[in-house]
Amino acid sequence: MATITIDIISKLFRSRAYPEGLLSLDNIRFGVADREFVCLVGPSGCGKSTVLNLIGGLDRNYTGRIEIDSRPLSHDGSHPVRVGYVFQEPRLLPWLTVRKNIYFALESIGVPHSEWRQRTETWLEKVGLAGFGDSHPHELSGGMQQRSAIARAFAVDPEILLMDEPFSGLDELTARSMRQQILELWDTTRKTVLFVTHNSFEASYLADRILVMSPRPGRLRQEMKVELPRPRNYESSQLFEFSVQVTRLLTHGGNGM
Amino acid sequence: MAVADQARTQASVSRKPALAWEGVTYRLVSVLLMIAVWQAISLLVSPKYVPGPMSTVMAVAKHAASGALWGHFLATIVRMVSSFALAMIVGVAAGILMGLFRRGEQMLDLWVMVGLTIPGLCYVIVSFLWLGLNDRAAILAISWTTFPSIAINIWQGVKAIDQRLVDMARVFRASRWRRTVRVVLPQVLPYLMAATRFGLGVVWKVTVLVELLGRSDGIGYMLNYSFQMFNMADVFAWTLSFTVFMVIIELGILKPLERKLFRWRPEISG
Repeated sequence: MATITIDIISKLFRSRAYPEGLLSLDNIRFGVADREFVCLVGPSGCGKSTVLNLIGGLDRNYTGRIEIDSRPLSHDGSHPVRVGYVFQEPRLLPWLTVRKNIYFALESIGVPHSEWRQRTETWLEKVGLAGFGDSHPHELSGGMQQRSAIARAFAVDPEILLMDEPFSGLDELTARSMRQQILELWDTTRKTVLFVTHNSFEASYLADRILVMSPRPGRLRQEMKVELPRPRNYESSQLFEFSVQVTRLLTHGGNGM
Repeated sequence: MAVADQARTQASVSRKPALAWEGVTYRLVSVLLMIAVWQAISLLVSPKYVPGPMSTVMAVAKHAASGALWGHFLATIVRMVSSFALAMIVGVAAGILMGLFRRGEQMLDLWVMVGLTIPGLCYVIVSFLWLGLNDRAAILAISWTTFPSIAINIWQGVKAIDQRLVDMARVFRASRWRRTVRVVLPQVLPYLMAATRFGLGVVWKVTVLVELLGRSDGIGYMLNYSFQMFNMADVFAWTLSFTVFMVIIELGILKPLERKLFRWRPEISG
């Protein structure tokens, strides 16, 4: 059980060019229900990754309130709800093997030592990397590295999974098979997922609900329920038409974009 | 699972060989060639000005037998080790301050540059004038000359830390201590290694200078003494013996350590 409630009043981006602060998020309010798959879609620079950073506790400089399971996100990382995070890049520690990378996350988040091996092997197997536990990240392809990162995120058994454009650095074929895989994993584990992407087709394929953002400052423009039946088919014309609608929302009337 | 099969064929698992003896044949050939060239030059010029390998080794053996070699070696090594330790402490501290804090960088970077520019000789003279012709002055001068190059290496290392990996550790709730030891330190380690190697080189060069100018023992002192006597074979002997010592440290300690620490790194073929 894990729900997310986001109520960000404002988030300022400060830099030398904007010493007063530039409004980067303005009034972002939404919730993610338990076991729901929500995609946050927007053009680059609209602040969608910033929203994830705030939920993940990487950035604490904002006005507003974020609650996980109706408890405000604590600022010391002691929140009882476990969060799994998949970044745009694999972000594996290059000096550790894939297995030790997963151990690192398990140990950090406080999983008992006796469970490490079992969990790691299980998830490596599920992402199709059985037998690669002893490889170092540089010995693997980009897609395999990203799958290791997904295994790491699932292995900590998170209640909430945050994904920040995890497939945007991969070629389309690899990305496709990984989207399919992530849906299978989500189907069996039923995590609450918040997935950030700029790809409206990807969002339409994955999500229960899509939130479209507009840039400068980042605002929520529209919410769309994806009523397509699961499992979804890449070739389905309904899916394609739906994604065209999302794309239209993304590009239409967007502050002179 | 098709994906897994594809993945399996993609992985070309190539590990760096653990052996430190790789390429030993060519290294040996290179050493033998160097000795041959040395011998040739000695014969061509004059063994009086350029003593050959044989007479140099004989001179080393003579000093080893008389016991002089070990005493002077020890004096030099004690100076080197204590100066290096001091330079490392100050250099690492300064490097971290400069790498982590913008204010630290603004306050210190000029002085590190200046420190690097001023010749070691100046520090040596000033130290001797301040503290007298003793080992305290020697160690001060050597570490003073050495610390800027250590600081620069650490500064670069700290600046090169990949914050994205640190953020990764944070979302998995790694404590500050864990992030420092398990994520930051391994990233700085190669720079620490470079600082060590660089530092040892500088320490050695300044130590000899210090001994030449203001001490009555050590390799530098003996070099100067041999020079005064115009004993070329001894000049060569002292230089050679300490060079061999430094090579042994490099091949026996630094290289194996480096291989052990950085075995995970991809092989750079070129």
